[in-house]
Amino acid sequence: MIKNQFYVISLLVILSMILVACSGGDAGGTSESSGGSESEAVTLKFFHKWPEPEHMEFYEFAVQEYEKNHPNVTIEMEAVADEPYKDKIRVLMAANEVPDVYFSWAGEFSWKFARAGQALDITDAVMNTDWKDQVILSAVEPYKLDGKVYGVPMRINAKFMVYNKAMFEEYGISEPATWDEFLTACSTLKENGVVPLAFGDEFPWAASHYVGDFNAKLVGGDVRSADYLLTAPAEKLFTDPGYVEGLARFQTLVTAGCFNEGPNGISHSSARSSFIAGKAGMIYIELEEFVTVADGMGQDAFGFFQFPSGSGGEGDQKLLTGAPDGFMISASTEHPEEAMDFLKFITGPEMGKEYVKRLGIPSAAVGAVNDETALPIVVKGVESINTASGMALWLDTDINIKIVEVYLPGMQAILNGTKTPEELMQEVHDAAVQAQSELSQ
Amino acid sequence: MKRKFLNQLTPYYFLLPSLILMSVFIYLPVVENFYYSLFRWSAIDTTLNYIGFENYTRIFTDDLVGLSLFNNTLYAVISVIFQVFIALVLAAMLEAHLVRPFFGTLFRNILFLPSVLAISVVGVTWQLIYRPDTGLINQVLRAVGLDTLTRTWLGEEGTAIYSIIAVSQWQWVGYCMILFIVAIQAIPEELFESARIDGANAVQQFFRITVPLVRETTLVMTTITVIGAFKVFDIIWVMTAGGPNHASEVLGNYLYRVAFRNDEMGYAAALATLLFVITFLLTFIQLWLGRTGKEN
Repeated sequence: MIKNQFYVISLLVILSMILVACSGGDAGGTSESSGGSESEAVTLKFFHKWPEPEHMEFYEFAVQEYEKNHPNVTIEMEAVADEPYKDKIRVLMAANEVPDVYFSWAGEFSWKFARAGQALDITDAVMNTDWKDQVILSAVEPYKLDGKVYGVPMRINAKFMVYNKAMFEEYGISEPATWDEFLTACSTLKENGVVPLAFGDEFPWAASHYVGDFNAKLVGGDVRSADYLLTAPAEKLFTDPGYVEGLARFQTLVTAGCFNEGPNGISHSSARSSFIAGKAGMIYIELEEFVTVADGMGQDAFGFFQFPSGSGGEGDQKLLTGAPDGFMISASTEHPEEAMDFLKFITGPEMGKEYVKRLGIPSAAVGAVNDETALPIVVKGVESINTASGMALWLDTDINIKIVEVYLPGMQAILNGTKTPEELMQEVHDAAVQAQSELSQ
Repeated sequence: MKRKFLNQLTPYYFLLPSLILMSVFIYLPVVENFYYSLFRWSAIDTTLNYIGFENYTRIFTDDLVGLSLFNNTLYAVISVIFQVFIALVLAAMLEAHLVRPFFGTLFRNILFLPSVLAISVVGVTWQLIYRPDTGLINQVLRAVGLDTLTRTWLGEEGTAIYSIIAVSQWQWVGYCMILFIVAIQAIPEELFESARIDGANAVQQFFRITVPLVRETTLVMTTITVIGAFKVFDIIWVMTAGGPNHASEVLGNYLYRVAFRNDEMGYAAALATLLFVITFLLTFIQLWLGRTGKEN
């Protein structure tokens, strides 16, 4: 009798064990409660990549403002820094826990979500309402795939060559307009014992901004976009001589002594610090960093010009390297209306002005950047973006990740002189052929 | 009869809670990991495409796996030299009967200190020390006229992995030394005393008494160090993230990159299986060696 009892109990325990083990597998996917009506309590998850205190202050303010006007909506905000964001958003996607509103870089990075059906098509909401009048439309372009809008830009950004005005004056250098003039400026600075160009490439996205700019100006636009989108015939991918020329010019910056010593061992932010401290003549930075430089050395101490990287190249010389930063909405959100409403609010002119005022970074809302809200040099930067013929998106988020994994580390080898431009472009070509064949599967 | 059966069964009921936890959190994921390694799938688009063992055959043609394993092995060899042999010598020196009463505690604390620091703190601090222009190492080299030896320590393919391994030794030698000190203190003092009376010098005492009697600890330390070297991830991710140009890539770090950057979850799962097999074999060897140690 007792024996039987124990038999039964142990069987039960084992069974429950198996049950526990099995239910572990699908507990995540079954929590789909039905979407509620207007007044029902709604919780939106909002995930972005600006955890820095001054940014968080703005986003917390914006969230509070929104919640004040929409008492039924609660917004759960989370933020992680730029590099970890690239990993964490993928982890969330894999776990089917896509946030309702999330940050995405423009271009290939966002298209990947769109192609996988993870991003909500918001074409109607944006293009057929007054929403389209409150954002800079050219900044919406990189969030479009096959004519459909998947994201809305929060801010606009571009890369400029910033220089120390006092040094340029002292050594009689004027803003270089061609590649040769740029190299001459470098050697003048070097002769006077100054590091011409501060550069930190510990993480190789920094190099990709240079190379992306070279590519945009040295390779014809159609060829480049066919390569980046992997629509070119396999044997032609990344074989344009302009790519090799771009890497060769990048290498010239090393061999001519333009860069500081050992860029691969220095982070971008410490390179920027050395520029601010007056130890370098120039640095290639983003418009959003202008405010940091202005804080450090005063807004009159530095000027900027467009990097004349492509003189004599096939590409459009008036392109600027840069991209909008914006948000997308999850295709599996339970509250698309509320998510769109919140997105419209946070990217709108009212919050845009607040954003520029607080952070000094240009918002993508129409009319948000003006003399009242931003530093004159930032307003000037935005004007340059508006007069540019277009944007060359960040190389590392604009091409397939498999190519990025070969191309970017290879740039570090180019800096060290352990690889030639021809060798690297051959590897990039191979990676592109591989990526193209996988896409078509 | 009944009682006997009950007695036999009872221990398993006590084991059940941990058995359940172990199955759910350890054994099941191991099996799942193997299952997932048979597919091509990405984090973003989670459709599974069955490709059989293609991910495994790819491991053998992937140069970066070879490079990563080479770096792991390098890490293991250097770590054993420092964290086992040199740590043992340090421990014996600090426990020598003329040193212990005077400087023993002081040096013990100084050497132990780095191991209580967080890895990211250590990584960032050493990044500054290794900086090519303003870093301590290059500045010292320049100050003594050895300009030709200055390097971009973390930024050159030839030096990056060694620079990181060096940091790891700096951090852990003291910790291993403490464990050896504990082992040495367990050796009866009479042995050393009688050896001294017989005229044995310090070196003889070290090789004839200390080394044989801390054999158990040496074995354990060696295997822990080797396994640790194959699982290493954090310090590398903080200091170079595998760069420049993959020169400091290790398996753990490459696996992470494949999974969360390249969106090749299936291949990452195959690499995880490889890592599992390697560490499992090493653990097995450790257990086997530990057993023979007891028999002696």
